[in-house]
Amino acid sequence: MTDRLFPTQEIGSLMKPRWQLLGQRGESLDDAARADFVRWNELLHFVPADDPAVRKFLGDRSREVGAETVRDWAALFLLRYLEATGLDRVYDGEARRIEMYEYPVRQMRGFQFLGHVRSFDNKYYLKAAGTGEVRLDHPYHVEEFEFVRDHAKATPKLPITGPYTLADWSYNEYYLRRHEGWKGRDVRRRAQRDFVVEIARQAIRPTLAALIEKGCRVIQIDEPAAGTHPQEAELVAEGFNAATDGLDAEFSMHICFSDYRPLFPALLEAKRCRQWAWEFANRDTDGRDGYEVLNLFREYGDTRQIGLGVLDPHRDEVESPERVKDRILRAVKILEDPRRIWVNPDCGLRTRRLEIAYAKLQNMDRGAKLARAEVGGTAG
Amino acid sequence: MQAITSLTSAFPRSEALVQATRDLDRGRTTPEAVQELYLRTEAEVAGLEQRLGLEPRTGGYLRWQDLFRPFAESWEGFTVGPLTRWFETNQFYRQPILHSPPGRVAGAIANWLPLPPGGKGPRKAILPGPYTFAGLLDNRSGETPESLTHRMGRLLGDEVQELRAAGYTAFQFQEPLLVYRPPEGARAEAVVAAYRAIASAAGGSVVAVWTYFADAHNAWPLLSRLPVSLVGVDLSETDALALAPATERRGLGLGVIDPRTSLVEEPAEVVRLARSIADRHRPTSLWIGSGAPLDLLPWEPATRKLHGLPAVRQGIDAASGGP
Repeated sequence: MTDRLFPTQEIGSLMKPRWQLLGQRGESLDDAARADFVRWNELLHFVPADDPAVRKFLGDRSREVGAETVRDWAALFLLRYLEATGLDRVYDGEARRIEMYEYPVRQMRGFQFLGHVRSFDNKYYLKAAGTGEVRLDHPYHVEEFEFVRDHAKATPKLPITGPYTLADWSYNEYYLRRHEGWKGRDVRRRAQRDFVVEIARQAIRPTLAALIEKGCRVIQIDEPAAGTHPQEAELVAEGFNAATDGLDAEFSMHICFSDYRPLFPALLEAKRCRQWAWEFANRDTDGRDGYEVLNLFREYGDTRQIGLGVLDPHRDEVESPERVKDRILRAVKILEDPRRIWVNPDCGLRTRRLEIAYAKLQNMDRGAKLARAEVGGTAG
Repeated sequence: MQAITSLTSAFPRSEALVQATRDLDRGRTTPEAVQELYLRTEAEVAGLEQRLGLEPRTGGYLRWQDLFRPFAESWEGFTVGPLTRWFETNQFYRQPILHSPPGRVAGAIANWLPLPPGGKGPRKAILPGPYTFAGLLDNRSGETPESLTHRMGRLLGDEVQELRAAGYTAFQFQEPLLVYRPPEGARAEAVVAAYRAIASAAGGSVVAVWTYFADAHNAWPLLSRLPVSLVGVDLSETDALALAPATERRGLGLGVIDPRTSLVEEPAEVVRLARSIADRHRPTSLWIGSGAPLDLLPWEPATRKLHGLPAVRQGIDAASGGP
């Protein structure tokens, strides 16, 4: 915890710069990608401009640089980018990750990819089935974290996909097969519980332990599927508890674009969760109605930290510092304790151009400063 | 009692179609090439239906981006709205926005149906049910939900008439919302009125109401009153043995395939369950298919699951002495 009120944090992935995509493929940079690299490097100094490898990269010899180096540069770029906006907790914009489901599942045994399922229109995702006992091949995200740890100036906060989401986005064969008889709703729910808890115990927990061993202190467990089946909120909490059992770190749970009300009070059983980092700005109005849902925490007497979403990641409109301040103060009014509030975007800003996301994050920092000035004082 | 097995939803796109439609979005292929692949894949689905004895045939509805899109794009009064979660799944549909009373455009929906007019054999059109359609759109038309539900029934009835002329013999209306959020009072009466309009337009054709994504128990009194040939329930959500038999004998639909798991249903187990349900309800015919839409699965596991249906059909027929 920082000693100032309304500390700020990142929440998810950022858009990958075009120079990264071209560079990883060993393709030459076009003029726009080259100019983009140079401009951001002049601003953030993420790599020495006179580094011979950088000269090669910008001089049409990107293939000689290698994909790994380009990935490192992208991670450094997004790390410095987030730090430059004034955030207290940062990561690397998930520069090395492509998505949040397939990669973790590929680090586990007991899964088999079956093919593509349509998400909408012509957009699809590859979906796996749990066909055997879940076991972890290797803890993952560890090297990625070590890189961030070694280069970050602010505190790193690592995001990882939670067990409930991994189970919900997979088919459950193995644990369903273990139940005799017709696979109706009740059987399906029991089998899903087995699946979630096994992913948590066998794969997520050892990964978290390995990360903590390497010095990771702040971990965000992403559960975007939590709102898909509100009646399973208890299972989301159980998975969270199993994944973090006996581990010591600052754990938060990120959920977005969900109806939160049906998740109460069952979700509150996630005992080792210190912070609820949720989306609010997306549903906000001029009357600040988007933050009314915070009343649920009061209603149920939950006094944990709130990661307050104040930026809408689906709009190019850059929220003014005053609007950010208003949103923070609305939350203060409802929660009656400014020390509980962390400030962040609703979700990852990866659908926004980097210039837009940067302006949004800068205004988030400015808005937090305005709120601090209005409330006065520090967290202590 | 006759057992009938058929597709009860859109079929998943093949991996080749997945790749082609992705390539189309990225400008790496042409609309003509994708169209050609759609035709070939629809023929493949129709062939699969024929081989497995899935009749009436549907052709798979591979081109439909979601259940409402052909209507939202071609009927009057609509625009296509934001992505919206499709019940408790990780699929999304673009919510139709209704700005003024909807108007049917003759021939528009027929163009979206995968089976060409005039082909041989019985064929089934799968359409959105009036309650689900009216309930899931963003209604900015000023019309009350009750009136809109009834109006949708009349418009879909007109659609049925046109499709009958094109050779369709069965009409299945997707009504997940009827069980997920059952209507009450005037809204429930509007649903009955909507299906009266559809039944009247259908003449002697089969009209099926297919429910899924929730337990049909609470909606069962209403479902029992609908003037349709059969109502289908999702057996992975509903204990059909606990439902009261309809006072008037008619068909019953059983969603025996659960596309929320890739685990293939055991035909003998399905037959046992279907027989006990049939003993209780004594339906005139038993329609067997998937509960929730099959396109929650990839192509290969969906195909694998369908391969169990002939054994299910034969098992039920053997027990009932038919067909």
